[in-house]
Amino acid sequence: MTFSTLATGAAADAVAPAPRPRIRRRRLSATPYLFMLPGFVLFVVTVVYPIVQAVQMSLYDWRIIGSATSEFLGLDNYARALTDEHFWLSFGNTVFYLVATIPPQIVLGLLIALLLHARSPIRPLLRVLYYLPVVTSWVVVSLLFRFLFADQGLINWALGATGLTAGDTSWLGDRWTGMLAISALGVWKGIGWSMMIFLAALQGVPQSLIEAAIVDGANPWQRFRAVTLPAIRAAMAFVTVMLVIGAFNVFISVYLMTGGGPAGRTDVLLTYMYQLAFGELEFGYGSAIAVILTLIVLALSLAQLRLFRDRDGVTA
Amino acid sequence: MKRPTRIIAASAAAAAIALIAAGCSADGGTDSGGDVTLTFWGSYGNGGNSAQQDVLEKTLIPAFEKAHPGVTVKYLDVPYDDLLQKLTTSAAGDELPDLVRADLGWVPRFADLGVLVPLSTEMDDFQTLADATYPGVLATNLWKGEYYGLPLDTNTRVLISNPDALAAAGLDAPPATFEEFEAAAAKLDGTGVTLFADGGLGAWNLMPWIWSGGGDITDAEVTKASGYLDSAANVKTVQMLVDLYTEGQASSGLIGNEGAVSTSDGLPAGTYATILDGPWMTGIWAGQFSDFAPIYSPVPAGDGGSISVVGGEDIVLTTASKHQKEAMDFIRFTQSEEFQLALVPTGQLTVIQALGEKQIELDPKLEMFTRQLETARSRLAIPNASEVDTILNTELVPAFEGTVSVKEALASAAAKIDELLAS
Repeated sequence: MTFSTLATGAAADAVAPAPRPRIRRRRLSATPYLFMLPGFVLFVVTVVYPIVQAVQMSLYDWRIIGSATSEFLGLDNYARALTDEHFWLSFGNTVFYLVATIPPQIVLGLLIALLLHARSPIRPLLRVLYYLPVVTSWVVVSLLFRFLFADQGLINWALGATGLTAGDTSWLGDRWTGMLAISALGVWKGIGWSMMIFLAALQGVPQSLIEAAIVDGANPWQRFRAVTLPAIRAAMAFVTVMLVIGAFNVFISVYLMTGGGPAGRTDVLLTYMYQLAFGELEFGYGSAIAVILTLIVLALSLAQLRLFRDRDGVTA
Repeated sequence: MKRPTRIIAASAAAAAIALIAAGCSADGGTDSGGDVTLTFWGSYGNGGNSAQQDVLEKTLIPAFEKAHPGVTVKYLDVPYDDLLQKLTTSAAGDELPDLVRADLGWVPRFADLGVLVPLSTEMDDFQTLADATYPGVLATNLWKGEYYGLPLDTNTRVLISNPDALAAAGLDAPPATFEEFEAAAAKLDGTGVTLFADGGLGAWNLMPWIWSGGGDITDAEVTKASGYLDSAANVKTVQMLVDLYTEGQASSGLIGNEGAVSTSDGLPAGTYATILDGPWMTGIWAGQFSDFAPIYSPVPAGDGGSISVVGGEDIVLTTASKHQKEAMDFIRFTQSEEFQLALVPTGQLTVIQALGEKQIELDPKLEMFTRQLETARSRLAIPNASEVDTILNTELVPAFEGTVSVKEALASAAAKIDELLAS
């Protein structure tokens, strides 16, 4: 439900609403604000306050007990991250996950959306099937993939049976094969979501334009390049930004498939942060990593929005 | 359409706030009329093991309440994996219960945070109670000269073997020494059976080998690892494990491969010939592999003898408790024969040395574990013990992969543990 709401939201954004006609200023009333208040209080308590607290903690050698005094460190926790090898290893793994999961999710998601856009009696069934992994619990599918990629799992059996490999790869026992297995799960679980957004956007592509292109003699590829793709640019931007945010937040699959192992080599930023905070009670340093993560995601999101906007030539 | 939705949303939000407010004020356990409620957190029912939780809630707690009129014990079961996080956040929020059944590795951590009551100074009869327990188990409660808890239940690891897999190596009894262990590896070469499997290189996994090999991780005062962890004895011991791994006679689970066949599946299946594990395995196999008849034997002996590692839980009293006297009464009750022996049939080993023989009578399968406990030792009792595990895993894996020597790996781990101990 949430996703389809987001999708319509994105589609609605694409068509800028006409400016409202000026009307006489209405009498100020407290009623709307009273209605907003509970939600706003909840938002402040559960979202704003923790963020502010995390930023504050990141500047201290944070002692979790209220009565203990925490030493103020300034930006030391941030400086520590920059020279911490394991931080960079976790960062590298996060980037690997990002690069390995986003392009397949966009390309395959779009491809499936295009196929499902065509009329077919089994279309609703296929949509449900492709969307099923999205709504399945991360915990369940992480455990499932852990079994698939186990030494004696189905993947090794299939590879061995077809003669592609000897079937004895220790997928979860090495950094890059482990990250590959984790990324495979990310792609499999995410395709349905991007497909759904693209499908919604495709329904907004004006049929008249397509027909005009056909009349002009455009082949299917040209129609896709010149008509469909530009028309779903907003959805593309939305999907990319959301996937980048999602990739930086990868946690459950890593935690459950490899536990960051062996020897911490498949740690991503969030598993490292979790280990620091709850394993070693380094809440200050853990928070600093969380803040750095937030800044990276924020910068990337802004950069992407700008990129998509500039190419459009629209200054909205 | 919009208006009702908003109203619903607003009332839902208001209800949520009310719930949060109620949640904040409902706890605290202030009682009226002299009645006292003790809150007790633990993970007896972890993994759907209702047997232990049932004994606690249906037999033991009622017995205590009967003997202490006016005192009610409210037990909250928290899954083991969530308990540490819940305790940490509760400590931060000053919301800890009166009593906690804490993993013995957590006691120094919470003692260091200042949220535990030092029982050795606050309980008159502490020494009497402490003297009755196994020294290795009691030691896990010691932090900066004071004891912050008493042992509640314990366990240890022994060598568990698959007789059929041993037969493949021409053995009719499990290897009893390091030499026999290595000889068995040579004989298993080419049979498709792997001699030994384990799930990591943390202290729980490694220390039985280190101690049995005659080494240790730090000096007795726990101030320094250099010169101890990288001693000649430890180099020899770890080299033995590395050689086994290189020859394919130790599972890759040892170096953290989560995809390796698990020890609980691999031993009954005959993939592995031996593992080191605890008394709970009997229960795990009873359901899935009811025909499997494993052999339990002491940890193979090296130059230091056969020394295993202590596991289990301690009971601790928090400074947040408003009913310290009643809570201490409950702690005394947990050390009684009634409490200790009631849990034995559910797979919990008693912490009271004098009850060892009665325990074996109750469950003969526990004999090997009871004997091994007499010499078993505890891991480093320091607040950041989990970092020691991280260091051991991170530094030793390269030695198993052959990129650094065992001596280099141990020295580098020792240097990191030195830093940890100094901080």
